[in-house]
Amino acid sequence: MRQSGRLLKWAVVCFIGIFLPARGLDQRAPLENRLAKEELLLAKTPSLYFVLFTKSKVLALKSRGMILQEWKVKSVKAWGDGAPLSPLTLEKKSTLFPPKRTKIQPARNEEETGEFELEALELKDMPSRFSLFMSQLIRVYVHPQAKGFFPRLGNFGHLLAWNFWVPVQNLIFQMRKRDFGALDIKLEKKDDCQSVYWALFDGIQGLIFPL
Amino acid sequence: MKNKKRLRLAILASVAIVVVFEAVAIIVAWPRGDSGLPIGFEPGDQKALAKLEAETSSVRKKIAALGPKGVHIVIDSARNQLTLKSGKDTLLQAVVSCGSGSVLEEPGGKRTWIFDTPRGEFQVKSKIVDPTWIKPDWAFIEEGKEIPKNREERYEPGVLGDYALGFGDGYFIHGTLYTRLLGRSVTHGCVRVGDKDLKAIYQAAAIGTRIYIY
Repeated sequence: MRQSGRLLKWAVVCFIGIFLPARGLDQRAPLENRLAKEELLLAKTPSLYFVLFTKSKVLALKSRGMILQEWKVKSVKAWGDGAPLSPLTLEKKSTLFPPKRTKIQPARNEEETGEFELEALELKDMPSRFSLFMSQLIRVYVHPQAKGFFPRLGNFGHLLAWNFWVPVQNLIFQMRKRDFGALDIKLEKKDDCQSVYWALFDGIQGLIFPL
Repeated sequence: MKNKKRLRLAILASVAIVVVFEAVAIIVAWPRGDSGLPIGFEPGDQKALAKLEAETSSVRKKIAALGPKGVHIVIDSARNQLTLKSGKDTLLQAVVSCGSGSVLEEPGGKRTWIFDTPRGEFQVKSKIVDPTWIKPDWAFIEEGKEIPKNREERYEPGVLGDYALGFGDGYFIHGTLYTRLLGRSVTHGCVRVGDKDLKAIYQAAAIGTRIYIY
């Protein structure tokens, strides 16, 4: 009885040690192959593109295969269909308080008024909580890790929306026989979220891969 | 008393419906597995796996070949930073000024300009020593002046620094008189650089040098 128990233990160890890593590798290889093929198509154009690796939790902005900027993602959550393994286009960015461009008033320059006021849209003006509306009904919600009372309150609101509203939204799309996928990515710092908002402009293409 | 009971029942029933609806929504929305894997690959098939990995490696090499080989310029428009690179080595880092993102409308609403620095991959198309700024229409509109009919009236020497590197559509990497504003987003789309850094960039970058702006 004791011996058969030991044998069973060994069998389990062997199964985990030999069979499971091989299975993991098998799943990874086709994905890496597909990613390389899809990325080659994007890298052939002079446009910038992004790649979001949902398992290794990295978001990269690239051009011609070269990484221009990289952000570490703290956590990734998902609802609905996985993102398709083909290029997605950022159709729209949505946020509660979108940054506003300053309208230049002709002839009201510093020489005339005697003072210089900087009318610039800079990184600090970018929002840190926003949604990315991708093609093929993929939504990506971006927000920073909450530190302090008000950011935590904001995160609580987001948590409610993510856990209650997004599944309902998914159900509505499913009833209409349309695929829907939502991703929630949390970045460590507010600045990171702001620079993601800056870097991902309307029309940029990118890939979301479970790697 | 009866009304109160009915009201309580109605509230309970509504809550139950919402809970059931939400539960169904959560079950339906539960993340599904990865899809779209290439057909014909059998997990555990070592030959197929080796073939697939060789193909991936070949495609990765093709991607790497698309990247810049020698000297190239990388501009971070969000942080107003320019990096001159050779392969993976950094030759120079400079604080620059990129587009302000402001909007200018022509009185009468005929034309609109958005002063962003363009993003993507570009190439140095022209190299100019002692450049003269040929003021475009928006410069006159911004100053509240009439657009001149005579081309000579558009010439403004001495405002673009000692050198200018054109990268298409009227955009340049050039010098500036407003060095105190380096590091801020204040330009009309061009990239302003300090004198010393500009000279180094001008000397290192040949026509055709690739510029990456993000």
